[in-house]
Amino acid sequence: MGFELRDHTADVAVSATGDSLEATFAAVADGLAAASCDEIPAGVGERFSLSVTAENREALLFDYLDELVYLRDVRAELPVGNRVESIETTGSDDGPGHGDEPVEWRLEASARGVPLAEIDAREVKAVTYSEMRLERTGDGEWEAYVVFDV
Amino acid sequence: MTTFDANGITLERVREYVWEIPREGDMRVPARVLASEALLEEIEDDKTLEQIKNTTHLPGITNYAICMPDGHQGYGFPVGGVGALDAENGCISPGAVGYDINCGVRMMRTNLTYDEVQGHEEELVDSLFANIPSGLGGGGIVEAGVDTIDEILARGVDWALENGHAVEDDLLHCEDEGMREGADPDKVSQKAKDRGKNQIGSLGSGNHFLEVQRVTDVFDSAVGDAYGLAEDQIVVLIHCGSRGLGHQTCNDYLRKIEQQHKGLLDQLPDKELAAAPAGSQLAEDYYGAMNAAINFAWVNRQLIMHRTRQVFERVFDRSWEEMEMELLYDVAHNIAKKETHAVNDEGDERELYVHRKGATRAFPAGHPEVPKAYRDVGQPVIIPGSMGAGSYVLRGGENSMDLTFGSTAHGAGRLMSRTQAKNEFWGGDVQQDLEDQQAIYVKAQSGATIAEEAPGVYKDVDEVVRVSDELGIGDKVARTFPVCNIKG
Repeated sequence: MGFELRDHTADVAVSATGDSLEATFAAVADGLAAASCDEIPAGVGERFSLSVTAENREALLFDYLDELVYLRDVRAELPVGNRVESIETTGSDDGPGHGDEPVEWRLEASARGVPLAEIDAREVKAVTYSEMRLERTGDGEWEAYVVFDV
Repeated sequence: MTTFDANGITLERVREYVWEIPREGDMRVPARVLASEALLEEIEDDKTLEQIKNTTHLPGITNYAICMPDGHQGYGFPVGGVGALDAENGCISPGAVGYDINCGVRMMRTNLTYDEVQGHEEELVDSLFANIPSGLGGGGIVEAGVDTIDEILARGVDWALENGHAVEDDLLHCEDEGMREGADPDKVSQKAKDRGKNQIGSLGSGNHFLEVQRVTDVFDSAVGDAYGLAEDQIVVLIHCGSRGLGHQTCNDYLRKIEQQHKGLLDQLPDKELAAAPAGSQLAEDYYGAMNAAINFAWVNRQLIMHRTRQVFERVFDRSWEEMEMELLYDVAHNIAKKETHAVNDEGDERELYVHRKGATRAFPAGHPEVPKAYRDVGQPVIIPGSMGAGSYVLRGGENSMDLTFGSTAHGAGRLMSRTQAKNEFWGGDVQQDLEDQQAIYVKAQSGATIAEEAPGVYKDVDEVVRVSDELGIGDKVARTFPVCNIKG
């Protein structure tokens, strides 16, 4: 359980596993932080929370990572120690909801923001959909693969 | 017929350095790769060829999708990809432009010679590093309020001129005179503007850099004269893009297109290729937003260049005008532009969204869109190499309109992943070796960036340029070699 940085010619890929969807999302987010900074100091920075909504599970992962990159730039802090508190959907777990209501997926998360001025961090430009995978691998376990543009 | 078997994909040789992947399945046109066998061997095992094949699935793709000699695996569209999509019946794809809209390169001349700079390298690199924001969270040369951001997005370098960061002559030596028409600041999201407002005039990190270079060779003296380049001359090369504003703009539209044009998306083999049909509201909106981000990137490079002039003034104790620090040219290598091209042997013309992602426009002599200053010799093309190898100045070649919709390569092209680079190289060693063995002074915010950008991670830029020159899409004019380099 956790993440690994994978080889990708021009960019950086993160492969992550978790024993829940929440843990898997958080592990990808920690992979994003690791791709940005080799030595993340402990105990520096305040925690902040964020919430994201999207129309499906993959889009939720994409928008969550996109939001972290956005918050990094506007807060001038690298989000580390990511926790995803909850992921909820108005539809069924595997697909569109019943009836005519549009499906909405909602995530509540928090991160510790390490001021960029205190670390040697490199810019990850953006999350991409390219080769993105988010799959259930076993009993509640998930695996994700995300390529980031560097 | 000569073929090249690349791990399951067979390329047929059309003629020297031109390889074709024939149409099959849902490919709308063939794919072409412009490369020597040596360059093909470098991409045979990664996803470059699969990605250029995928690009041929885009509606309205005209004649073929083309991979430049420096092409390598990217996301969606390969880096080094050129795709001309019909502007009436085709589509426009943010992912095929890339996140860093108008990432590009500009070169500034000086009248200094290498002798005059020798002995000042450390002072110069320190002063450039101290005065030009780089890395993550380093701020920008100017910080803008909402009104200023909108002005920059709408007017580009014209804004810089009015605010004392440019001179008239800078505009005349930039594509579109530094102002893209059809830029619509209202189509750029507040989130994108929030990211951009404290990054105006900043290099960022990754492969972006500012490099002081010396001209080592002039291969074509007539064109070299027209470009104002001579051996031993000092020039400055600046490589960066539209920073967070551009990255956010790409993502905003990728998501909107995914939601609103799902039918088209379902026909494509890679979600990152998501495209808005020509004529749709989102196609228009994205084009307006992308043009605004193009202006933002031009202003970014302009502010960095103007600040560099001030640094040189202090280090060499002379005015920049006296050092003749003039913009040679600015090229964009992540861009989609509406252009009119002949699309068949009969000379029928079509208006196309020419997507160049990691590819440089390379219009030949006589083309009306080449700035007046260079129209007789062809558009300057700047090809940055790695920090331990040379860079090149080319000119748009006479075959570029026939072969590549007026395009050529954009750099050396990566060979090795960033993670592998960090295992193989140590930033401090790379930095020391460059200084001791090649007299190249490097300064970066992060040692890891130096390792990730070590000269050994790139393809041989000489081979890339040789192929471009042999094909006549971008002809060799001059070669430069680094003197000092700053990066994020």
